[in-house]
Amino acid sequence: MIGINRRRLLVASAVLATGGLVVSTVPAQAFSPHSEVGVTNSAIKLGVTIPLTGAASPGYNKVPSAMKAYFDYVNANGGVNGRKITLVVKDDQYVPTLAVTQTNDLILKDKVFALLAPLGTANVKAVATRVNPGRRGVPVLFVNTGYSGFAVKKTYPTTFTMLPSYIVEAKIMAQYITETYPGKKIGLLYQDDDFGQDALAGFKQAGLSLAVKVPYASGSQGVAGVPATWIQKLSAASPDVVILFGVSSATAAALGTAAVMKYAPKWILGSVGGDATTIKASGVPAGVLYGATGASFLPATTDTTDEYIKLFQSINAKYNNNAVFDNNVLVGMNTAFVTVQAIAAAGQNLTRKGLIAAIEKNGAKFASAGLAPLNYSTTSHVGYNGYWFGTYSPTGDLKPNGGVYTVYTTDSGSGAIVKSTYKRPAMPADGLPTQP
Amino acid sequence: MRKFAGSYFGRLTFFILFGFVLFLASNRVDELRVYQGASVAMYVVAIASLILLTGYSGQVSLGHGALMAIGGYAAALSRNHWGAPFWLCFVVAIVATALAGSVLGTAAARLSGPYLAGSTLALAVGLPSIANQFHILGGEQGLLFDIGAPPAALGADFTEYKWLFWISAVAALIAMWWLQNILRSRFGRTWRAVRSNEVAAQLAGIHVGKSKTLAFTVSSGLAGLAGAMLAMTISTVSPSAFPLTLSFAVLTGAVLSGVTTLSGVMIGALILVATPDIADAISSRFASSENVTTNLPGLLVSALLILVVMLVPNGPVEQMRTLRNRKRAKALR
Repeated sequence: MIGINRRRLLVASAVLATGGLVVSTVPAQAFSPHSEVGVTNSAIKLGVTIPLTGAASPGYNKVPSAMKAYFDYVNANGGVNGRKITLVVKDDQYVPTLAVTQTNDLILKDKVFALLAPLGTANVKAVATRVNPGRRGVPVLFVNTGYSGFAVKKTYPTTFTMLPSYIVEAKIMAQYITETYPGKKIGLLYQDDDFGQDALAGFKQAGLSLAVKVPYASGSQGVAGVPATWIQKLSAASPDVVILFGVSSATAAALGTAAVMKYAPKWILGSVGGDATTIKASGVPAGVLYGATGASFLPATTDTTDEYIKLFQSINAKYNNNAVFDNNVLVGMNTAFVTVQAIAAAGQNLTRKGLIAAIEKNGAKFASAGLAPLNYSTTSHVGYNGYWFGTYSPTGDLKPNGGVYTVYTTDSGSGAIVKSTYKRPAMPADGLPTQP
Repeated sequence: MRKFAGSYFGRLTFFILFGFVLFLASNRVDELRVYQGASVAMYVVAIASLILLTGYSGQVSLGHGALMAIGGYAAALSRNHWGAPFWLCFVVAIVATALAGSVLGTAAARLSGPYLAGSTLALAVGLPSIANQFHILGGEQGLLFDIGAPPAALGADFTEYKWLFWISAVAALIAMWWLQNILRSRFGRTWRAVRSNEVAAQLAGIHVGKSKTLAFTVSSGLAGLAGAMLAMTISTVSPSAFPLTLSFAVLTGAVLSGVTTLSGVMIGALILVATPDIADAISSRFASSENVTTNLPGLLVSALLILVVMLVPNGPVEQMRTLRNRKRAKALR
C-alpha cells in the first residue's frame, strides 16, 4: 500500500544505510581555489541578471547587449591587462524568485568574478538577503536601481551604486520646482514601495509641500481602470504641476490616460519613468512626453557634440547591430566603460578584494559620460549624485533647458543642494582606459 | 522483521534513515546542489499535496500556486510582524492555508471535473494579485522573508544554504511521514473510497462532501507549507513568486511522479529542479542564442509531460508495479 510494501521498505532502508556509510567516506570537497574565481590569465567572467522577457523587459533588455558591445570593443583592442571580458546574461523577468536562482547560478555554477548592473530594487534586495554576495565577497557593481539603501556599506559591503539615489533626485527636483514654479500647487504620483518612500523622503527633506499625493501599488498600472483613478484623484486637487515618480509603464499609463481625459497640468517626470523606448513599448505614443520636464545625469542621447556619445554611437553601430541609441543603450555602455576602468585599476593580480579596493581608491577619478561626479571612496559606495533638467522633444528625446547642462548635486541625507562645478575627465584616447 | 518494516515504527525508521543520508550528502556536495536540494524538498511537499488531492481523493486543482502564495504570505507576515521563529512561521503557514483551503474545499466539494479545474485555475490567476491591493502585503515588490543566519553553534563553515536545506529536508520528511500515516488511517481509506465510487462510498455511510472538504483542507495545509518553504528559499514573497506557471509546474511534477501514488514524488521534484540545468548543458553545447536558453527548459518539460501521459499515464512507479504484477501473474499460471 502507498507504494512501499514491507520487503521493499526493508531493502530500501538497507540501501540507504549502506549508501550513507559510503557517502560518509568520500572526502569533503576541496576548498579555496588557487587563483580568483572567474579570472584566468586570458579572461574575466562577469554576470548580470536583468529582465530580457516579460512585462518589465522593454527598454531594460537593451542594457546587456550594450554592455557586451563595449566589452567586445575593448576585447577587440586587447582586453583589460591582457584579459578579455565575457558577460554571462541571465533573464530574471523582473521576478525576485528568478533573480535569486539566476544569481545563484551565476555565482555557484558559472562562477563569475563579479555581478554587474543587476536591476530592480526588490530583486537586488532579495538577492542580497538570500544569495548574500556581501558575505561571499562577490562584488556587485553598479546596481541599476536608485534605492538609497544599497549604498550603505555596512549592509551591502560589496555593492556599489551608480544611478543617483531617488532621494537625491527628489531633493534636486524639489528645488527645481520651487525655483521654477514658485507658489504653484504641486501634485505627486508615486510607487508605494521603497522606490516611492525614497522619493517622499527626498521631497520632505527639501521642504516641498505637496497639495496631493497619490500612491499606486506597483503592478496596478496594468489593471484596467486603475490609472483613471489616479488622474481623477490628481485633478480633483487641481495642482498646477504634477510629478510622476514611477516606473515607465506607470508613467506611460498616467500620461496616456490623462491625454484621453484631457487633463494637462505641467508634467515633471522622474528619471526612471521618462524613457521614450519603454513608453512606446507600452503602446503609448512618445508624443505624450512632449513638453514635459525630465531629469538625467548623462548627456542627451542625441548630443553628438559630446565625445562620449560620439564614441558610444560608433561602438553601437559596429558591435550592437546599430540598435536605436536610447538612454538604455547609453546607460549600458557607460556602465561597461566604468567597469573596465575599475578592472584596469585593480591591476594585473586581479582579485575580488582588489577590485573593491580599486574602486574605493580610484573610483572618484574614473572617466565616464556622467555629468555629475562619481563619489566612490573608502567610506562611500555612492555613484553619481546629481541631475540636470530638460524638456522632452516631440520624439520623446530629453534635451537640456536652454541647451546647457546645469547640474545640481546633493546627498541622500540632509546635505545642501548645490550647483555642480564638476569638470568631467576627458575621455581616454579611443575610449580605452589607460592601464597600469 | 517483515512485520517491523511495514509497521508504524518501520516507516519512522525509514524516514529517519533517509534523513540521515540527506544529512551526510549535504556535507559532501557543493553549495549549488545543496540549494537545489532545498528546492527539491519544496517541490516534494507541493507535489505530494497535489497527489493527495488528485490521486487519493479524486479532485483536481490547477491553482496550487495560489494556495502556496497564502502559505508564503502567512509565513512572511508572521515573521515580519511578530518576529516569530521560522518553525512557527511554517506552522502559521500550514494553519492559515488549511483554513483557507477548508473554505475553498467546501465550494470545491460541490464541483467536479472541468468546473473544479476552471475555478481553481481562476484562483491561481487572481489570488496573488490581491497583494497589489493592500499595503500590508507589499504590492508587486512583496515582503522579505528572512529566516536569518544559521545558529552559530553549527560552526563558521556552516553555510546559509545548508541551513535552508536542513530545514526544508526535515520539513519535507516530517510532512511525508505524516502523510503516509494519514493515508493509512480511516481518513485515507475514506478518501480512496470516495475517489473510486462516490455512490458506493455514500452507501457505506461516508459523508462524501465532508470527506472531500477534509482532503482539500489537508492538501491546502501541505501546499501552504510548500509555499513557506519556497518563500524561505528565495527570502521573499511577491505576487510574481507565485505565477500561474508555478501551479502548472507542480501539476507537471505530479503527473511525472504519477498522480495515483505518493512513492514517485521524488521523481517529479527532481525533474523540475534538474531541467534548467540539463537545458543549460544542451544549449551551451548546441546553441548560443539566448532565446533557446530561455525557452528550452519549458520545451523539455512539456515534451516529457506528453511522453509520460502517452506512455506511462499512471506514472513510472505505478507502471513498474503493473509490469511486475503481470510478470507474477504469468509465473503463477
